[in-house]
Amino acid sequence: MDLNQPESSANGGTPQPTDPGAQPARAVSRGRLLVGAVLAVIVVAGLYFVNRYWIHPAVMIQANGDSEHPDAPGISLTDIQGKRLDLADYKGKVVVLDFWATWCGPCRAEIPGFVVMQEKYASQGFSLIGISMDDDAAPVVDFYKEFRMNYPVAVGNQRIGELYGGILGLPTTFLIGRDGRIYAKHTGGINPAIIEEEVQQLLAMSPTAEKSDFRPAMVAGTETRIALGDPAAIDSEIPGLNLSKLTAEQKEALKKQLGDQHCPCGCNLTVLKCRQVDRACQVSLKLARVQIEKLPKSGS
Amino acid sequence: MKTFVVLIFSFVLVCAVVCAQAPEHVVKAKVAMAPVAARPDSVVKATVVAEVLPGYHINDHHPTLDYLIPTEIKLDPNKAVTRNDITYPKGEPRKFAFSDTPLSVYEGTVRVEVAFQLDPKALPGDYEVKGKFAYQACNDHACLPPTSVPISFPLKVARRGASRSRSE
Repeated sequence: MDLNQPESSANGGTPQPTDPGAQPARAVSRGRLLVGAVLAVIVVAGLYFVNRYWIHPAVMIQANGDSEHPDAPGISLTDIQGKRLDLADYKGKVVVLDFWATWCGPCRAEIPGFVVMQEKYASQGFSLIGISMDDDAAPVVDFYKEFRMNYPVAVGNQRIGELYGGILGLPTTFLIGRDGRIYAKHTGGINPAIIEEEVQQLLAMSPTAEKSDFRPAMVAGTETRIALGDPAAIDSEIPGLNLSKLTAEQKEALKKQLGDQHCPCGCNLTVLKCRQVDRACQVSLKLARVQIEKLPKSGS
Repeated sequence: MKTFVVLIFSFVLVCAVVCAQAPEHVVKAKVAMAPVAARPDSVVKATVVAEVLPGYHINDHHPTLDYLIPTEIKLDPNKAVTRNDITYPKGEPRKFAFSDTPLSVYEGTVRVEVAFQLDPKALPGDYEVKGKFAYQACNDHACLPPTSVPISFPLKVARRGASRSRSE
């Protein structure tokens, strides 16, 4: 049998001369097109989700140094016992800063373990600090007494949450070293033994130890690259926008523009008013950012 | 083929990271009701259909534990309506790591029935009852702050003498 001879056609007629490579090439080409199309859809969909849920929220936070071990933003509040609570007073101590709420089941479940930890390590220069994100102090006071909490607890606010990069889920726990830097952030309930192990590491670290010597427990919800909020944007006249580089005229022009623009989030307010009464509104924040980009540069 | 598999795997990884981030909206709510006119003094029924993102739950309107924030529909007063009756579904008991007691929660699709008693003196015309579907959501490990999504109910009041256009 001569394999180089073309096969007879199916109807028995004289086989037509054909390019032996044509049929397979067309099949390969169609196959490649299909794979390419599927890959393109996957890439586009992937980019959409990454931008929608990952990059976009990170940009919205206007991180002030998205780096490992940033300085913990200052906190100055009155705790539920009426005493001044200032994070600066804890410099030199290892601190677990716990954002929680009385209506949060996973938060409540952690607290007995925290009470034990406070008792065990306080003499070594350790303290827990609880920042409750309840709307008011009454349930916090009741909870404090019922669970015999033995560390300072204060009711927080949105500004503090924004300074700490936006508290997206409770509990959120920050591990702060003696140097006042954040070493780890855990979002969600976590086994107290894991936090304890990290506390022990930080307590044992000498002042000359490398920050990289700290090994956080890499469980779900742990971050070591901590994105914090931009204080200039948080404390701005237009919350969320850093106006420090604008001239007085630019600020007034921006406020007028945002004051004339209706916010489509459903609040029935202007963009400016919405920013001022609802700092969490992402719709007005995005619109305000678009307007600030459109401002003519000073001097032009 | 190898490239295809690698890219599929990468996409799945991206999605896993994406899903690990707290979503902006855990609950979407919409109103289902027949767009027909009703006579004054009749009852108009509607259903609020809420979809809870997979992986999350919201608390039963009658929560198992008193510290939990209930799911609730809050309605603004409206001059065409004298009374609202809201019927919440029964939640499903679910056991969570953070609680010894199973908690009654809503997951997936939640249907809440709302009945509006129209004012006998309501004038014919279109009205809109605005409200909020208020909830507080958690997944197995973390809780999001209490929040709400806006809802609205378009009501059409027919003339008093008009023939009945919807069953009560």
